Amino acid sequence: MKAANQRLEWKWGILAGTAMAAILWGVGPAWAQESVSIRAMLTTSVPADDPTASAWNSVAASQFPMSPQVHWPTRIQEVTVKDVRVRGLHDGKQVAILLEYDDPTQDPDDAAAIEFMVGDKKAHFAHGQPMGQVEGGPVNIWFWKNKDAKALDMNAKGFGTLKVQDQQDLKGKGVYQDGKWKVVFSRAVTTGDANDTQFKPGEFINIAFAVWDGQKDPASGDLKEKGSQKAVSSWWYFRVDPQPDYTSYFYALLAIGLAAGFEFVIIRKLRKGPSA
Amino acid sequence: MKGGIHLKPALLMVGLYIFFKFGMPLFTAPLPASLIMLYLMLTFSGIMIFMTLSGTSMESFLGPIFRFISGDGQDGTMKMARLAVLALFPLLVGWQTYTSTASSTAPPAENRTVHPAPPGEFAAMSNPVPNTPENVMQGKGLYAAYCSPCHGLFDGKGPASRGFNPPPANFKDPTTIAMLQESYLFWRIKKGGVGLSVEGMPWKSAMPRWEFELKDEQIWKIIMGEYDGAGQKPRTWE
Repeated sequence: MKAANQRLEWKWGILAGTAMAAILWGVGPAWAQESVSIRAMLTTSVPADDPTASAWNSVAASQFPMSPQVHWPTRIQEVTVKDVRVRGLHDGKQVAILLEYDDPTQDPDDAAAIEFMVGDKKAHFAHGQPMGQVEGGPVNIWFWKNKDAKALDMNAKGFGTLKVQDQQDLKGKGVYQDGKWKVVFSRAVTTGDANDTQFKPGEFINIAFAVWDGQKDPASGDLKEKGSQKAVSSWWYFRVDPQPDYTSYFYALLAIGLAAGFEFVIIRKLRKGPSA
Repeated sequence: MKGGIHLKPALLMVGLYIFFKFGMPLFTAPLPASLIMLYLMLTFSGIMIFMTLSGTSMESFLGPIFRFISGDGQDGTMKMARLAVLALFPLLVGWQTYTSTASSTAPPAENRTVHPAPPGEFAAMSNPVPNTPENVMQGKGLYAAYCSPCHGLFDGKGPASRGFNPPPANFKDPTTIAMLQESYLFWRIKKGGVGLSVEGMPWKSAMPRWEFELKDEQIWKIIMGEYDGAGQKPRTWE
């Protein structure tokens, strides 16, 4: 009877543990907080063109605040999108980044973009514009527009230099649901194109975001946000996670063994007395 | 007092640690952890030398410690305490090894200089616009139009500020314009974030390069309006 009771307690324990794990797993990713980085987690299959795939729920979102683009003309003082939530997944070959943001209306001109630096030189977050005392590099821009139903691979190095690449390596797809855009961008982790940013597993690189609400002004019929009039973020960090590394567990076990051995020798020595 | 022979050195070590960690920063810069460790090691060596000067003092100091470790004639609480110490020590060493060898998942730390030195041609400038109530008022008007979207009511919290990292400067903060000269502000407004030197991380700054849109005279007026509005005085050579 006692044994049966114990088994029952075990079952309750397992149940409670599972419930706790489920809560942490399921609810955790929904608690997006302001972040400084996104890590693309290693997975077996990347939902490269499915913004609603359940795999996205298995990774936590990083949240980044957006500002109206006031850095250079033509400026804008107020924008629709105040934050973007970002997730990343990769399988060693493909990397996919999911942007999610609130937008009350679905419009053909709704658009979103991700920006990276290309090469070793730092690039200014505003289209890699020239800097006074520092030699800057170009940026690689991934641009998705609702009505085009695809993502474009682009480069810029300064204002007015935005150019669509000859070699297109990107995929992009957006889904509008319940007042939210979910847009997935995907690409090979490395490409042979020198104009592309390259991802080295384990290495943090800079990432920035831009969003355009393609809503039209009811009076004039003009787009409220277009071109340089958009919501922008600052530079933040992104990395493709490396393969799991178990060597530190090995070192820890080795250290435990050495410490226990040390204790054993000391105790033996003490028990034998000073003459030993 | 029983146990006093161990209590005093232990208290000395703890007391010194508290002094180095929390006491010293009251008089000077905080000590690096490695230096505190070195001081404590020296203290420990001193205690050991002192306690082992004679055979009797060595036996009275080390004897109880050795008997605790070897487990001679122990029972009850002492036995449990010994086992706990013997089990915890390897685990602690293992944990320490794990944390020092595990790869980090944190992004690189950024060490940005907030106010890097201005280029020479700006350092010696002085404001050529007379500080009259009218000019200050004009400056405040220009500030409202060009600067307030990000810098707000001189507090760096304008409606467009939320997405920017680094955040727009808060001019009411005594560590911003109050410790800078007017010429420094003139440089920062005219050349913008992209004009910063490398230690200022110009690639992150959203500050516009206003020389394309504002005349020098307007910039000087903005500076006067900014100091007045923030209730600060520019730093001068005195």
